[in-house]
Amino acid sequence: MLAFGFSIGLTGGLNHTIATIAQNVHEADAWWGTLAAYQEMFTNKRFLGDLVVTVIVTLVSTLTVLFLALGIGLYLKLKGGRMARLLSGLAIVPLFIPVVIASWAILTFYSGTGFLRSAFALFGLDFPVWAFTMVTVIIGSVWTSLPFAVLMISSGLQSVPKAMIEAARDAGAGSLRTIVSVIVPMAAVPIIIATTFTAIGIVGSFTVPYFTGPNSPNMLGVDMSNYFSSFNQPQQSAVMAFTVFLIASGIAALYVWANFRSAKEQGKA
Amino acid sequence: MVTTTSRTRPAAGAGRPLSPGSIVQSALVALFVVFMVVFILGPLLWLGVRAFAGTWTFPNLLPDDWTLRWWQVVISDHALGVAVQNSLFFAPLTVLVSAIICLPAAYAFARFDFPGRRFFLISLFATNAFPKMGLFVTLAALFYALNLMNSVLGILVVHVLGTVVFMTWIPAAAFSAVPRNLEEAARDAGASKLRVFASVTLPMALPGIIVAAVMSFLASFDEAQGTYLVGAPDFMTMPTQMYSLVLNYPTQVAAVFSILLAIPSVALMLAAHKHILGGQLAEGFQIK
Repeated sequence: MLAFGFSIGLTGGLNHTIATIAQNVHEADAWWGTLAAYQEMFTNKRFLGDLVVTVIVTLVSTLTVLFLALGIGLYLKLKGGRMARLLSGLAIVPLFIPVVIASWAILTFYSGTGFLRSAFALFGLDFPVWAFTMVTVIIGSVWTSLPFAVLMISSGLQSVPKAMIEAARDAGAGSLRTIVSVIVPMAAVPIIIATTFTAIGIVGSFTVPYFTGPNSPNMLGVDMSNYFSSFNQPQQSAVMAFTVFLIASGIAALYVWANFRSAKEQGKA
Repeated sequence: MVTTTSRTRPAAGAGRPLSPGSIVQSALVALFVVFMVVFILGPLLWLGVRAFAGTWTFPNLLPDDWTLRWWQVVISDHALGVAVQNSLFFAPLTVLVSAIICLPAAYAFARFDFPGRRFFLISLFATNAFPKMGLFVTLAALFYALNLMNSVLGILVVHVLGTVVFMTWIPAAAFSAVPRNLEEAARDAGASKLRVFASVTLPMALPGIIVAAVMSFLASFDEAQGTYLVGAPDFMTMPTQMYSLVLNYPTQVAAVFSILLAIPSVALMLAAHKHILGGQLAEGFQIK
């Protein structure tokens, strides 16, 4: 709340200290504050570029995570066996690794002297350098968000009764049709929860884009900290934080709706 | 062993004769597994090898020579040692403080249907949805005013904030999974309320609490942005040191340090993996 007050130019009270230190502060000219800081940022090319990049990275990474997690979960449910357990075990590995290390490992793996470049160079091929581009940011985001999505989705899919699937099969439905119209709808709530948490995590992420991304445009999380510490413009930084928060709460609304739906199904609401 | 394979076989569909379609299918699956191995494990192995590398010429897949020199560099570096100490000091303290604050709240969420209960659960979620960096910017403003910058208390507040969601939601789900009639039976047998809690509710909810504690420990152990903002340069923890290592030291040193930093996480996760994979984590993220 304080940050929001500060972002609309209320510089008194507890916000006083930081307003004194900061540069380029828009002070309130009306009792409710001013939107000048918002106006400044929303006409700032750098900010708008960052915003677009953030939205694209979030969308692409979330869809990839969802696709992979659904694939692994469905394979585990429908086929089972050693391969499926191996796959889901693999997907959980990133949970064990701190994000700082993961981002750095991914950076070196895809860098100019990284594994992929080396492997391709042995065959005389030139593989593109992905380090410090949005590609590694997406790869890193997918890497770090995969375990949670896989855990959520496969636990949701496991709770779909086997009998339902067999009934659909007996009624003549093919594999694809069984998946689309029986299994996925029945596990909809955990799938939505996994999606929203993944998206929210990525939208506000800092470490992955900070390590692996380009200088500019980068995701809002990184630029927020640049504006705060390097440029000493905390008010602009607060504006960014609220923009990300708005996006995140849009996604969060979906989560809340999913939970209420599940509560209603269980007759608790 | 024999019985298990024969039992899983019908599910795997191996009873049918191999058609071209199923061969293509297994080839695709194998390809996907190889892709996932490279995608998930590749970066980690690449980093692990680097920790023992002397010199490494590009496009060779292995280093030119092997050495333990970088381990000595890390172990003899005083600043890095301090960072390890700081991390090992803050993480358990964070878990403890967070447990003292959040576990009673979790129990209340699970057992009492007070007005505004759902509102509180959702607003907890809202603080989680708010970008961490934005939260720290706000905190910094507050900390300047309250003189908490560069203090143990300030860092502790930052760390505890990062663990609140884990420490409330997961134990809340665990508490509400304890059947009420078990507690009532214990009451009928003459146990006091406190005793019921200590010997019925708590042991049954313990796996959930353990998962929450592990997740909180790791959240605190990994926390870098906030600590850097509030604590640097007086209080450097392992992840904040990692930031400067990556920028200022040879890559091998950072690789060694990464391995050291990963050890507690991997050990804790392995210890608790049964509960985490058993659905305690997934259960905790559904508001009821």
